[in-house]
Amino acid sequence: MRKSSIFSRKVLAVPYAVFLLLFVVVPLVLIIVYAFTDSDGGFTINNFTSFFSEAHNINTLLISVLIGFLNTFICLLIGYPVAMLLAKKELGFGKATVLLFVMPMWINFVLRTAATRDLLFNIGLNGGEHPYIATMIGMVYNYLPFVILPLYTTMTKLDKSLLEASYDLGANKVQTFVRTLLPMTMPGIISASTMVFMPTMSSFVISDVMGERKISLIGNSIQLYFDQGLWHMGSLVALIMLVLMSVTAFFDDSGEENARGGLW
Amino acid sequence: MKKFISVLICCLLLLAVMPGALAEEEILRVYNWQDYIDEGKDDDGAIIDKSVIQLWEEDFYGRTGRKVRVQYDTFETNETMLNTFKTGKTSYDLACPSDYVIQKMIAATKDGTDETIALEKYDLSKMENYQKYVSPYIANMFENHGWTEYAVGYMWGTVGILYNPENVKKEDVKTWDIFWNTDYKNRSTCKDVSRDAYVIGALHAYSDDLENLVGLYEKGEMKAEELQKAVNDVANDTRDVTIEMVKKELAEMKKNIYGFEVDTGKTDIVSGKIDANLAWSGDAVYAMDLAEEEDNKKLEFVIPKEGSTVWFDGWIMPTGANTELAQDFVDFLCRPDIAARNMNYIGYTSVIAGDNIYDMVCDNYGVEDGKLERDVTYFFKGTLSEDKYNKDGRIIIKTNDTDRQLFAQYPSEDETARLGIMEDFGDRNEKVLEMWSSVKSNEMSATTYVLMAVVLLILAVLLLFGIRNKQKRNKRRRRR
Repeated sequence: MRKSSIFSRKVLAVPYAVFLLLFVVVPLVLIIVYAFTDSDGGFTINNFTSFFSEAHNINTLLISVLIGFLNTFICLLIGYPVAMLLAKKELGFGKATVLLFVMPMWINFVLRTAATRDLLFNIGLNGGEHPYIATMIGMVYNYLPFVILPLYTTMTKLDKSLLEASYDLGANKVQTFVRTLLPMTMPGIISASTMVFMPTMSSFVISDVMGERKISLIGNSIQLYFDQGLWHMGSLVALIMLVLMSVTAFFDDSGEENARGGLW
Repeated sequence: MKKFISVLICCLLLLAVMPGALAEEEILRVYNWQDYIDEGKDDDGAIIDKSVIQLWEEDFYGRTGRKVRVQYDTFETNETMLNTFKTGKTSYDLACPSDYVIQKMIAATKDGTDETIALEKYDLSKMENYQKYVSPYIANMFENHGWTEYAVGYMWGTVGILYNPENVKKEDVKTWDIFWNTDYKNRSTCKDVSRDAYVIGALHAYSDDLENLVGLYEKGEMKAEELQKAVNDVANDTRDVTIEMVKKELAEMKKNIYGFEVDTGKTDIVSGKIDANLAWSGDAVYAMDLAEEEDNKKLEFVIPKEGSTVWFDGWIMPTGANTELAQDFVDFLCRPDIAARNMNYIGYTSVIAGDNIYDMVCDNYGVEDGKLERDVTYFFKGTLSEDKYNKDGRIIIKTNDTDRQLFAQYPSEDETARLGIMEDFGDRNEKVLEMWSSVKSNEMSATTYVLMAVVLLILAVLLLFGIRNKQKRNKRRRRR
């Protein structure tokens, strides 16, 4: 059977390659070019130095990392047990229950956040007086489904007999959890973390709505610069965030391994 | 035979349609704010009338026999609009930016620095309605600043404080200090717009001086123009010292207010989340109407005694525009009945005066046997028919409430004396923005730093563990 040349692998890859080039590579190059040029088009590192010479910019950077980390941590803390319960076949939670947890994702997130804002106001936790707490609640609420889903998928796939083996070898519940379940679900944890950490740092709608615009994350400063037509500074901040994100993506490289993860 | 007849009819019909289809259709490209023209829709978005744009197309066809189609696009912020022009990918015949952007464009036209935002000049002799019905107050302002040739006003208003009189004392809200007043901690919001916030900060920083000047004006020892200039100078003062002062003022304000907003202020004050809100007069009128309808609540609007700014949006023609069509369209918008429709639909105050506008305002917010008089002579003078004037030559609208919709739409002449104009900050804008983003950035307390240290430590430990485990794993793998 001769391969038809129209459907050869190379040809099939063309649409995505074009997409990748137009909407990923070109914009990326543009960002880098803009970040290191001034409005006259000449090369400069002034954007870079002026960004890091302002203490408030570094504050924004640190706060973003902090909020991103806290959000990831809290989401994992809440999401992990939920995923464990959902994955337990004996408890009889079907796919429908999982959907119930993921359903908030289906509602437009601006609407969802606006509703959360009103809800928090009514219980006295308004963003005006507690901007950080309100923002954290908004973040956790929005990103929790992104944690539950990958964890649930990893847990349903893993081999239960390994846990039984751990008990058989005399490990107690804590030991079994720390030395068997946790390493085996590590790929899920890592992919969940990257799905939460990166978007949290770059989000600006949630912090604007929930924190009554009193908190500014990196996403906010990028938006402010671009809104005011200062594309060069905006690109530089975007680039800084990009670098930060590639650092976190370093953690993700074990995602390729299968569910046995770091067990042996 | 039947077939032949039907073919014949078809051909005849086609012929009847042809001339219209063949005649070259002209296009007028208009770039305006969202919801900033009467589109003939009711509150629910259902079409109940012809839009103003359609009316112009028909009117122009009636007068000249030429078919013009308006291509109407909208933008959400001045900066979006400006960026559209700067990238130069799309061109328009007409756009409707705000005061400071118009100034920037006029400056670029005059010194030729940026051709992408340069403007065409108006031939005002072709703009009968505008000449006849524009308010003398607006015409004067345009003339004094040298904008007359390049821009035609559309809507205008002031910046002030919208408040709920049930929870806010009148004397407290008569000054910008309300945003710093700890009696109203977490009860007010400020605009998340660097320029508006900057002006409030500057006016508050120099409030003592300004109050003295207003006192002099009230005693008759200072002319209105002098006071206007003084307020203007403070509002547009971007020297380093002032920026530093404003930064301190705004940082302090941030701790006292509920938050910053761009569009939620109107609804938040109606729902009772806040009691005071930095508001543009047009939004204030909208919120007052809304509060009355929904909760039977009476909100009020005031221009603080230190003074404030007046703003306007105007029509400009970018270079290369079809000036003939553009001017005709703008002049059509200046026809008082059309201006009244737009004003009614948008809720902002038109720069156009004239009988239709006057009657509509009286209808909406006037009370025929009201005890109070709002003197609007300065605005309507020379545009109304004889019977609208009082015996003493003044133009008044009677009402029973102070500081409500009517007062917000038309400030008193004394109030206009302390209204500056926000100018384009020019190359100082970046400095102001840097200050603003510093104000907006986060206050770092000791606990935050401790928390941060803990987080970094955890991250470092995790990273170390990760690397060590991996090395171990790799070793074991190699052994296997």
